[in-house]
Amino acid sequence: MFRKTSLAARTLFIVILVTATVWTAFPFYWGIITSLKDRENVNLWFSVGLPFVHYTPTLENWIGELMLPEMQHALLNSITAAFVSTVFCVIIGSLAGYALARFRFERIPNKDITIWFFSLRVLPPVAVAIPFFIMMKTLGLLDTRTALVLSYTTFNLPFAVIIMRSLFLELPPEMEEAALVDGYTRFGAFFRVALPLSAPALVSTALICLAAAWNEFLFALLLVSKNAMTIPVLISGGEHSRGVEFWMVATRGMLAILPPALMALLVQRFIVRGLTFGAVKG
Amino acid sequence: MAFPAVKHKHVKFLFLLPAVIWMLAFTVYPLFYALYMSFNKVKLTGPDTFVGLANYARIFGDYYVGNSAKLTTIMVLTTVTLQVAIGLTLALIMNAEIAGRRYFRTLFSLPIFVAPIAMGYLGHTIFFEQGGPLNIVLTALGLRAIPWLSHPTWGFVAVCMIEVWIATPFCFMVLLAGLQGLPEEVYEAARLDYKSEWQIFKRITLPLLAPVILIVFLLRLVSALRILDTVYALTAGGPGTATEVYSLITYRAAMKFFDFGYGAALAYVLLFVVMLILMFFFRRMREVYE
Repeated sequence: MFRKTSLAARTLFIVILVTATVWTAFPFYWGIITSLKDRENVNLWFSVGLPFVHYTPTLENWIGELMLPEMQHALLNSITAAFVSTVFCVIIGSLAGYALARFRFERIPNKDITIWFFSLRVLPPVAVAIPFFIMMKTLGLLDTRTALVLSYTTFNLPFAVIIMRSLFLELPPEMEEAALVDGYTRFGAFFRVALPLSAPALVSTALICLAAAWNEFLFALLLVSKNAMTIPVLISGGEHSRGVEFWMVATRGMLAILPPALMALLVQRFIVRGLTFGAVKG
Repeated sequence: MAFPAVKHKHVKFLFLLPAVIWMLAFTVYPLFYALYMSFNKVKLTGPDTFVGLANYARIFGDYYVGNSAKLTTIMVLTTVTLQVAIGLTLALIMNAEIAGRRYFRTLFSLPIFVAPIAMGYLGHTIFFEQGGPLNIVLTALGLRAIPWLSHPTWGFVAVCMIEVWIATPFCFMVLLAGLQGLPEEVYEAARLDYKSEWQIFKRITLPLLAPVILIVFLLRLVSALRILDTVYALTAGGPGTATEVYSLITYRAAMKFFDFGYGAALAYVLLFVVMLILMFFFRRMREVYE
């Protein structure tokens, strides 16, 4: 496309691209440089400018935040809950994805089972959140990491099922057939052959689940008060009590933003397929 | 599809059932429980009282719900349209062979997993009125500083801007992948028939890309409707009631006023809207998972 574009059109495209670049990059840039400012520089207007040129960057804020016991506790909770729920999702999800890709279910067609999972993924979480809260209260699980793991797994699982289904569909079945002929059980063929063959995609799926669990806010807000505090809930309570301490806001914000942004870099080639539930191939 | 060598007929259920049971226990059961709650006055300490349709009837007389439904609809339609339109524009430009395409793509994919709650939080510094970066630039250009977080309209705009920032990359990435999947031969043929690029875009690209655009639009629509995090962190529904999105008032009804029945009824109305949207796209999704 646009092979024979005029100079005017080309200029327009460049302007759009530059605008989009500034628009996309600015919050990252701003968050990072603000988190590197000390308290004196943070409100000066020229501190919009470059580190080293207009002010001396400092890691003081990052060290300060990371040394806070409440922050360390929240980091530990967020990481633990995200990892454990991801492991659940990948195991249970790939089993079901495999079933939908390789077997034929008679009573309910496979595609309708897939759509069932899809519809569970896209429904508004607030509809599930309120009864989920009462369930956890009844089970005595409020403010525990277990409750976090249960909720994170619940909203990531349909995604894992659908995406693993689309991956196994692309895997040629011959290898597994050969394994079955060699005397492997169906589970053996799955764990020893199909799963290793789809390992790279499995890792990408896991990273997307991790990022979603790390970012999850609504369920954590409902379920958590102190012991199981996560990073999103911790930062959501910050701006009122601490006023306009921008260095702190920026540091905490970037602390939450950067890990998933790095994951986005790692799974770039997989993102499109992952986030469209396999509907568009990347 | 099925293997000839399946020994046990039922082994397939062992693969599928853990996921199905999990979803039944933690999503389907809660949904039915919410339906039950929506017909009751729920007290956490005592027995529930059946109130019939009273909770639902209350929704239609509730000024805050009406206000919230209106502003959520405007917000969702505006942001999703902008996301798809900007995403498509960028995808079309980047589909051409331009220098450094890979770097742009990487940059534009960065916000994809950014936590909305953290972005809303960071918004406090970006939209800061006395000396925040946006107002500094505006005043430097000789324009008036904007009361981003203290004026209802601008608060609404600020939330929309963050939403567009977060979700446009998704639209861009998917639409670009869609464009790159279009067959080159069609374009070679089209260049003989149509002179202008605009004609080619209108007659060839747009119709071929329509299924992908539809998917993007569906996925954005259903996730935009659940908007909560950015608002919670940036404006908390304010100034006044200018950004009291639907999930926020539902959350507040249940968790702040402990009116679980009313909260559940509110949630069910939203659920109904999402189901309507899904049904509209149902046939398309069946084709996708064929």
